[in-house]
Amino acid sequence: MRHGGRWLLLVAWLAALALLGAVAWQRLRVSTDLRSFMPAPATPDQRLLMEQLGEGPGSRLLLLAIAGQPGERLATLSRQLAAALRQDPRYTQVLNGSFDIGALDERLLPYRYLLSPTLDHQRMDAAFLRDELEQRLDDLSSPAATLLKGLLPRDPTLEVLKLAERWSPPKSPETRDGVWFSAQDEALLLVQTRAPGFDPEAQVQAIDGIRQAFDRLPDHGGATLTFSGPGYFSVVANAQTRGQAEWIGRVSTVGFVLLLLLAYRSIGSLLLSALPIASAALAGIVALIVSFPQVHGITLAFGFTLLGVAQEYPIRVLSHRRAGEDAVQSVRDLWPLLLTAIASACIAYLAFYASGVGGLEQLAVFTVTGLLVAGFSTRYLLPRLLPARVHDVAAMPWLLRARRLAEALPRPRWLPPLVALAAAIMLAVAPGPFWQNDLSALTPLPKDLLLRDARLRADLGAPDVRYLLVLQAVDEQGVLALSERLEPSLEALVARHAVDAVELPSRYLPSVAVQQARQRRLPDRATLGQALREAQQGLPFQPGLFAPFADDVEQARQLPALTPARFAASPLGQRLSTMLVSRDGHWLGLGTLSGVHDVAALRALASQSDGMVRLLDLKATAESLVVDYRTRILHALLVATALLVLAIALALRSLRRAWHVLAPMTLATFLVLAVERAAGVEISLFHLVALILAAGLGLHYALFFERDTGDAAEQRRTLHATLVCVASALLVFGMLAWSPIPVLRAIGLTVSLGVAFHFCLSILMAPHARQG
Amino acid sequence: MLSLCANASAPEDTAAARELVASLGRPAPARTAFTEARFMKMLAQPLVVSGELAWLGGDRLERRVDHPSREISTIADGEVTQQREGREARHFSLRRAPQLQLLLDSFVALLGGDAARLEQSFLIRHDARGEDWTLSLTPRDAALARTIGHIDIDGHGREPRCLRMQEADGDLSVDLLGTLAAKMPVAPTREALAALCQDS
Repeated sequence: MRHGGRWLLLVAWLAALALLGAVAWQRLRVSTDLRSFMPAPATPDQRLLMEQLGEGPGSRLLLLAIAGQPGERLATLSRQLAAALRQDPRYTQVLNGSFDIGALDERLLPYRYLLSPTLDHQRMDAAFLRDELEQRLDDLSSPAATLLKGLLPRDPTLEVLKLAERWSPPKSPETRDGVWFSAQDEALLLVQTRAPGFDPEAQVQAIDGIRQAFDRLPDHGGATLTFSGPGYFSVVANAQTRGQAEWIGRVSTVGFVLLLLLAYRSIGSLLLSALPIASAALAGIVALIVSFPQVHGITLAFGFTLLGVAQEYPIRVLSHRRAGEDAVQSVRDLWPLLLTAIASACIAYLAFYASGVGGLEQLAVFTVTGLLVAGFSTRYLLPRLLPARVHDVAAMPWLLRARRLAEALPRPRWLPPLVALAAAIMLAVAPGPFWQNDLSALTPLPKDLLLRDARLRADLGAPDVRYLLVLQAVDEQGVLALSERLEPSLEALVARHAVDAVELPSRYLPSVAVQQARQRRLPDRATLGQALREAQQGLPFQPGLFAPFADDVEQARQLPALTPARFAASPLGQRLSTMLVSRDGHWLGLGTLSGVHDVAALRALASQSDGMVRLLDLKATAESLVVDYRTRILHALLVATALLVLAIALALRSLRRAWHVLAPMTLATFLVLAVERAAGVEISLFHLVALILAAGLGLHYALFFERDTGDAAEQRRTLHATLVCVASALLVFGMLAWSPIPVLRAIGLTVSLGVAFHFCLSILMAPHARQG
Repeated sequence: MLSLCANASAPEDTAAARELVASLGRPAPARTAFTEARFMKMLAQPLVVSGELAWLGGDRLERRVDHPSREISTIADGEVTQQREGREARHFSLRRAPQLQLLLDSFVALLGGDAARLEQSFLIRHDARGEDWTLSLTPRDAALARTIGHIDIDGHGREPRCLRMQEADGDLSVDLLGTLAAKMPVAPTREALAALCQDS
């Protein structure tokens, strides 16, 4: 190609990349919500989990601790922070122990007689009022007088205080200076976010909002604010994994560049060989944007990992160039084999598309698009740009020696069965469970964070994130009524210490039926007036003092009952609405549990309810989802394997040759699995994805070693290309294998082992070359 | 008369007030009988209770009421606990009852003989009439002074005899202390108590 034409092509290619990049930049919507990567739920519990994962009341709680200053200062900061956050629509509930009379807003104040259980076992008659008024008189002569003075004319029975008590968390921490304190002298707060707990992106914003509010407080210097809770953990785990992956990525990129420079001694070739892989990534992203409304973060992470196969295409081209030969000609010779490799990888990845799982479908679209773009740009674009003068690797003395060594290696016929037997034995005797179903075990949190969480959770009586009590009824009122019926038996369980505390929807709002029953027990104005006069006999209260009280009772008699919808306008109603969800024409109430000690007792309670009450174990349900997920991946793999055998056999037009390619690849894959299992590693989804990548690389090695050109120089070039590929894969994934984060280690270790085994077995199982 | 020369800003008066407060100090626990009359707008007649006040050292105060019904209130660590016979204890934060905080400040400072602490929270006016004296305490915090009013403590020699707390809304409570506690009139009036406190 003419010099000018080459430049034109390069500019056009770069412009196309820039265009794709711009589209990706503008339109890419990355979702971090774990749910969109999960398979479609099959059981009702799984469905509920998917809906509630991160949206249940417990998982949206952030536990806050302020420390590092004298108690009084911390108490002030706690109050100021709570006041600031209560103004912020990102938080549905902010609790810090301070009595919050504003929790029931002014307009709802007359409802107190319908919300408080007082009237259930009490008539509002002269005797009751007399007793209450006498108590108030005692209050007025006590230190509490200044506190209650303002309330008395409107609320002589202190109904507001009874409600405040009912609504404060069932097990509160110690209160000092009017706010919660831990035994470690930290001021404690509970904040419920509107954002779901397992959407790290949304949680980052919620947490930043709290931090900013804290930083804006006057005189907060010296005090430290620490977080805990599921939302915070998802943020920490994400940041930690991302930080490590990026750091390792940078170091290994430098190593990779150095390796290629060493191998090809041409900066131009190096830069150009990056173009196919860059095109692949950008085209893959754009394909995702076109086909899906949102792209999942995990798809991208897995996708970039799997695209590692495509880096081999330009490497093969560079290694196989002959001195004096046009790059286009070299590629033409190589192309049939390269095409086989590309096609088989695409076929394998395409199997993911049939899995029916959103995240995997995205993965298939991304990788198949990427591989095709990388392959075809390597074939049709890259060679036209490569410099004409090259240095032929086949002439390098060390490669000659290496090739002779490889050729001299024995190819024992007993090796494959021996390796297979060893793998089978290792798999059979491997310790521990085979599969790792707990995804969170892959991104573990620092121990001190978990300890702090356990401590704060115990101090605050914050609900358990693992168990949820699910009440089902046809409508909201049915759920509330069910919740009311359940209260006594749950109180009994609390008394038996089966569970520390239970929070049911009816704690915040009684059903309409109960409210109406209470309404009917309220006396009319004349009766109440008479009872008040009688009760006040001989007490020093000024006549007419309780007129505001009489007005409120009269109003309460005529109010329409408070429904969840009407209640939702107030902060407490917001709290309630997170506990009531509608689904498929029926309603669910979510009860949170704190300190579960006896799961069996709770299960027994649920089993006696005719399916109206269920104990949802979020952890077990999540694990069952992972199992489903893996089953689908394994099925997809099975299909992929069958397709692969077919494709390779067709491409090579020989079952015997297909065997030489597929046998080492299969054996090496099982060997990796066996070695990891023997070392006590439990296999997770991430291991599976890494195994697939390694198999893809292994397929290349086997394909190229199997190719018999009868040309010794070409064989040396094949060895060179394979060595560069193996070295670069070991460099990149070997670094990941050292990471302390299990998910990165899982990928790194699996791919590194895989590359090593695939390489060795494809040499040892390849037929001896005919000497040309 | 000496009281004519008394002036809050005069240094010799400040010195005299400090000397007086220092002389009032006694080791914890310090106990004294009290009878309290509360005049409130809400009530047609004042409420009268009697019992014992005790400073337990530090910021801890106990107020035991024996009559008309038994009740014990304790203030400790910024938290007020009220226990009444046959009822569950009630807790609330001192911060929610600023009047009580002032009362605690003045009381602890007096019984501890801690003039510095008293001056930290209050502007002090000192009146002396021979052995009789009155300390007028106005909260330094202007907002607090506006809503809460002020406290007057009357005494004789080394004995505080009366504590009068005037609230901004017009309500008044008068505590007769020590030997004076027994002298509460059957039907107390604001005027009668003021006279009782200031004449010895």
